[in-house]
Amino acid sequence: MSSNHPLAGSSAISGLGMTELGRVYGRSATDLAVDAVLRALADAGIAKDELDGLLLNAGISQGIDLSLAQAIGLRGLALQTQMNGFGSSAGQMVGYAAMAVNAGLAKHVACVFADAPLVPGARAGQAYGGARPGRRGMMSILPALGFAGPIPYYALHAQRHMDLYGTTQAQLGAIAVSSRGWAQKNPLATMREPLDLAGYHASPWIVEPFHVLDCCLVSNGAICVIVSSAERARDLARPPVYVRGLAQAHQLEWDDAAPSLAQRSSAAAFAMAGCTASDVTLCELYDCYTFTVITTLEDYGFCKRGEGGALAESGALAPGGKLPTNTGGGMLSGYYMWGMTPISEAVIQARRDGGARQVTNPDLIAVSGNGGIFNYHATLVLSPHARS
Amino acid sequence: MTPTLAETARATPLVDERSLPFFEAAERGVLALQRCEACRTFLHPVRGRCTSCGDTRIAWVDASGRGRVWSHGRLRRSYLPEHEGVLPLALVLVELDEGVRFASRLASGDDTLVRTGDRVAVVFERLADGTPVPVFRREV
Repeated sequence: MSSNHPLAGSSAISGLGMTELGRVYGRSATDLAVDAVLRALADAGIAKDELDGLLLNAGISQGIDLSLAQAIGLRGLALQTQMNGFGSSAGQMVGYAAMAVNAGLAKHVACVFADAPLVPGARAGQAYGGARPGRRGMMSILPALGFAGPIPYYALHAQRHMDLYGTTQAQLGAIAVSSRGWAQKNPLATMREPLDLAGYHASPWIVEPFHVLDCCLVSNGAICVIVSSAERARDLARPPVYVRGLAQAHQLEWDDAAPSLAQRSSAAAFAMAGCTASDVTLCELYDCYTFTVITTLEDYGFCKRGEGGALAESGALAPGGKLPTNTGGGMLSGYYMWGMTPISEAVIQARRDGGARQVTNPDLIAVSGNGGIFNYHATLVLSPHARS
Repeated sequence: MTPTLAETARATPLVDERSLPFFEAAERGVLALQRCEACRTFLHPVRGRCTSCGDTRIAWVDASGRGRVWSHGRLRRSYLPEHEGVLPLALVLVELDEGVRFASRLASGDDTLVRTGDRVAVVFERLADGTPVPVFRREV
């Protein structure tokens, strides 16, 4: 397996910075973002004045903007912008950073996500919904009819999958249970109490077929990764995590008759990396909902369409399974840092910094980001090896 | 100050100029949709240009109001005060015969279990503020 694509393996994640994550109160998103960038620089062994690229992505509270560079004190930026592809943003930032360092437009590009929507005393659902703008016109009838926020749409996409392919409630639950199993091994994870299938079934309904445990957390915090050329990354403090493949794909709405956005994005990223799904040893998949993991596993080619639920139920994704997936607990049980949750965990595993949750062979890692209602997607293929 | 959910995801519709024909048709008990006069593509939600051919000649036409259940679910928790005492709501995504996917719910008091693929037809109900809204019943 090899690829001649000029971007394949030409860049690497050289630094990782993570703040406290979860119910972290009293710090603004900007404070958290500054912290994450400085931690990533220290991790990589890069001096602040050497950082010449900054890409940023504000979460649901929209708490950071281009003034972040002033807050950090970055004097020599050659490249800077604020990006938004919702759940695909982080993968997109790493992708654009990889292109920039490969083209010589920047030496080191910091990609940072920060959010602080949680306030003491408010429920996560309120924190999430509260940041959404109001609607006007024809679509303003939707909240009264029962469609407020993304959960109803995702729940109904899951129900369609259940009706078409026989995916079961217990199979959705298997994703929640598997993620919790990993979260119990991650000291930074928010939800670390044991969870079994009975506990999943007993958790409150939000929109059938989704229980509350089918839905991801809402978290405060920030995560930054620094992308450098592979050559520069090799001289830095930590082992490079190579960007072997990257791609995006977007679609107007879910269409069973056409290749899905995740199929197109993964196919392009795997082609760049010169691999197939069967070569992938570890998955870090965007899990805004349990169902998203099932459909991403199918679309990435780890099983056929309709078989993702059975794959989850087999235990393959859980600790000790043959396809370890979301090894930090994901966003369901770990922390909701949009696409930075899967990317940061991939970096931790590739560096073998996973402690109790470290997998034995983090050689080729598929990382997904999904935004909108299956509208926006980014895939990364990351690896501790420059080539196979 | 971040607005609360009740302030932003408000249950009271805000009729704007562009969507007025939709609400006027609803008063007549008709589901109206936009259609491109050039290529006859139906558009939803409201657009100023055809998303297929780019033409700006867009007309409101009476739709069939009939379609198939694309999927369904039940709303069991809501932060909207308007939903107090009315949950669960039987949500549906309907693929209208005109080819657009339309989000709504089954008619109030309709406990019919719909399945993906079932035929449904529109009926109209009024929200608390009097706004007529399209909801669906399974065709028998």
